[in-house]
Amino acid sequence: MIEINSLIKAYNKEIVLNIPELTIHQGEVFGLVGNNGAGKTTLFNLLLDLIVPSKGFVVSNQIKVQESEDWKAFTGAFIDESFTIGYLTADEYFGFIAELREMNQADLDQHLNRYTDFFNGEIRGKKKFIRDLSKGNQKKVGIAAAMMGNPEVVILDEPFANLDPGSQFKLRQLIKDQTADFGTTFLISSHNLDNITDVCSRIVILEKGQVVKDVPKTATTLKEIEAFFTGVKEEVGFIID
Amino acid sequence: MNHSLNSIAWKEVTRSSAFGKSVATTIMLGFLGLYFAINFLALGFLIPKIIAENFPDANPVQIFNSYLLVYFAFDLLFRQVMQSLPTISLKPLLILNIRRNRIARYLLLRSLFHFFNFLPYFLLVPITFSLVAANYTAAVTFAWFVGIVLMIFASHFLTIWLKWWMNKRGYGFYIFLCVFLSLYGLNYFRIIDLTGLFGSYFDLILANPMWLVVAVIPLIGTILLNYKYLLSNLYLNLVEKKQKDSTIRDFSWMSRLGEYGKFISLEVRMIWRNKRPRTSFLMTILFLFYGLLIYKDSGNGIPDFMFILGGLLMISMFSISLGQFFPAWHSNYFAMLMTQNFKMKQFLKSFYYMNVAFSFVYYLLTLPYMLIDTRIGYYHSAMLLYHIGVNMNLIFLFGKNSKRALDLSSSSMFNYQGMGAAQWLITFPLLLGPMLIYLLSKQVLGAHGALLLLGGLGLVGIMLQPQLFKYFTKAYLQQKHRLIKDYKNS
Repeated sequence: MIEINSLIKAYNKEIVLNIPELTIHQGEVFGLVGNNGAGKTTLFNLLLDLIVPSKGFVVSNQIKVQESEDWKAFTGAFIDESFTIGYLTADEYFGFIAELREMNQADLDQHLNRYTDFFNGEIRGKKKFIRDLSKGNQKKVGIAAAMMGNPEVVILDEPFANLDPGSQFKLRQLIKDQTADFGTTFLISSHNLDNITDVCSRIVILEKGQVVKDVPKTATTLKEIEAFFTGVKEEVGFIID
Repeated sequence: MNHSLNSIAWKEVTRSSAFGKSVATTIMLGFLGLYFAINFLALGFLIPKIIAENFPDANPVQIFNSYLLVYFAFDLLFRQVMQSLPTISLKPLLILNIRRNRIARYLLLRSLFHFFNFLPYFLLVPITFSLVAANYTAAVTFAWFVGIVLMIFASHFLTIWLKWWMNKRGYGFYIFLCVFLSLYGLNYFRIIDLTGLFGSYFDLILANPMWLVVAVIPLIGTILLNYKYLLSNLYLNLVEKKQKDSTIRDFSWMSRLGEYGKFISLEVRMIWRNKRPRTSFLMTILFLFYGLLIYKDSGNGIPDFMFILGGLLMISMFSISLGQFFPAWHSNYFAMLMTQNFKMKQFLKSFYYMNVAFSFVYYLLTLPYMLIDTRIGYYHSAMLLYHIGVNMNLIFLFGKNSKRALDLSSSSMFNYQGMGAAQWLITFPLLLGPMLIYLLSKQVLGAHGALLLLGGLGLVGIMLQPQLFKYFTKAYLQQKHRLIKDYKNS
């Protein structure tokens, strides 16, 4: 689905991201963890052609992201609050994205009905601009919009941050349902190891711009990752089954 | 404590995005400031002469006094429009260990550092020396001078209080305008002679400087009003205003206007729901009355050049004032737009069609000026074509060099946030271009030929539009990553 080829991003000769090769398969829920400044958002920005790589390229569904705009048709993304439009109401924003994604009103309602629980009655039908919503609710709007039009790839940067525990739990379920029903490929970053190990089928740890661990989820993944971040590094390599 | 507050204030000014970042803006502002200062200085030296010529027998100081209120009325009106409230720096201070009354005093004190509080002295000092000191003793002159200074400060604090008062009420500005106009009317029709009364108070000071004590009252009064307001309103909602439910207007019908409707409806909502583009837009409506000002027959017909100027400003003001910042109006969510499922071409075209539509409406609205002179019809038609065919493309050409993100929430009046050299420079070809073309080609082709040339250039531009869009799409796509980066960093 997504192939990363010798991708390097450097600012003033300081390399912030260096991934020689990485392939993300269709239907995978790809989790990205790493310390602040490890390069998670940089990687997502490169996948979305928001910044130019210093070297290498990204191929998404046989389309070179750096060369063609056609990947936009099957990619949804939410990076931060700047991905919403502050002076629209949530309903207007959904309507705007739905038009861009060529959904009709019925499609839109059907899509948003899946989020009724997640929205907790605070998003739809409210005459309130998105800029006046709380940070968490702004995030909910952005996430729901990113999954509109059944995109094949959805990129979410820290979707769990700023959400209350109940909403975090509901979001996990929403992501799982989406992959189960539509085979959507997810790329998710998070600092919350519980959430990421629960929802992801494969987890990659970035450290100083490089992939230091790449493991499928098993019963012991959470412990392994926790050990990595607390610095207790085991001598033995990971068992990959 | 006071020292550290002051140093924060200083840093806020010197490190603000508007200051120092763009050399072009700083230079333009410097020139503007200098221009006003010189004008005021010149007035200060001219006024005594004017008074001496027109009122040779009267006491010149008393004549000057009788016009003082007119000055302060204008002062208040201009301050209302251009002076901003000193609230920006408030938020981080609220949770620190600083007493409320100290914050309030600090904000009020800081607000005094405004160009409008320095400008009057360029006028006042020469007048004081040449007019008042020449006729009165030093002590009396000093009292008169202090009296006026007190009034300047009172006007400053009245402005701030009024702005706070209006901010709270949606229709506050209109109430202010009504009161202002009715006072003006009372004065104009000599029902109550306000200017005379105000002037005779200063005559009293000249007669007996002890009357100066009274001038302190409005100053203390306005300071207390502000102080009281701040103490009871020093909360977050002073800086963060939330939108009221009732004011959300529905623009969804626009989305049905075909392929570009969805973006045009976004543009329209962007303009209407954010303070900065909205004030810019409202100003362009005011500009429609510009014709009343310049289409005046002073005996031998209106000079045809005026039609070019008027047509240009009235028809294209919307595109110029919004276009000079294109595409930075969408800077806050530009990265999001770039990941969405549409092509750059659509983005550019919808801005184009919106401008064409607005320019056409403005064109229709200016046609009644034909009642003044029928030639206006031809000139405005040529300017409409030229604007759509040439100026719109210049806007796109300059827009791809856009660098700074725009803060949509502040007023557009004298707001230089997001201004760079490109934004200043673009106004020259947009405004001077067609005027130069007209003036030069008129020498060769005559007025009719020059007019045809302008319209023809516009038509050529319109016919080349598909090719030009192809070029601009490519150019904007090339600039995309830089735009995203610059908007994020500014």
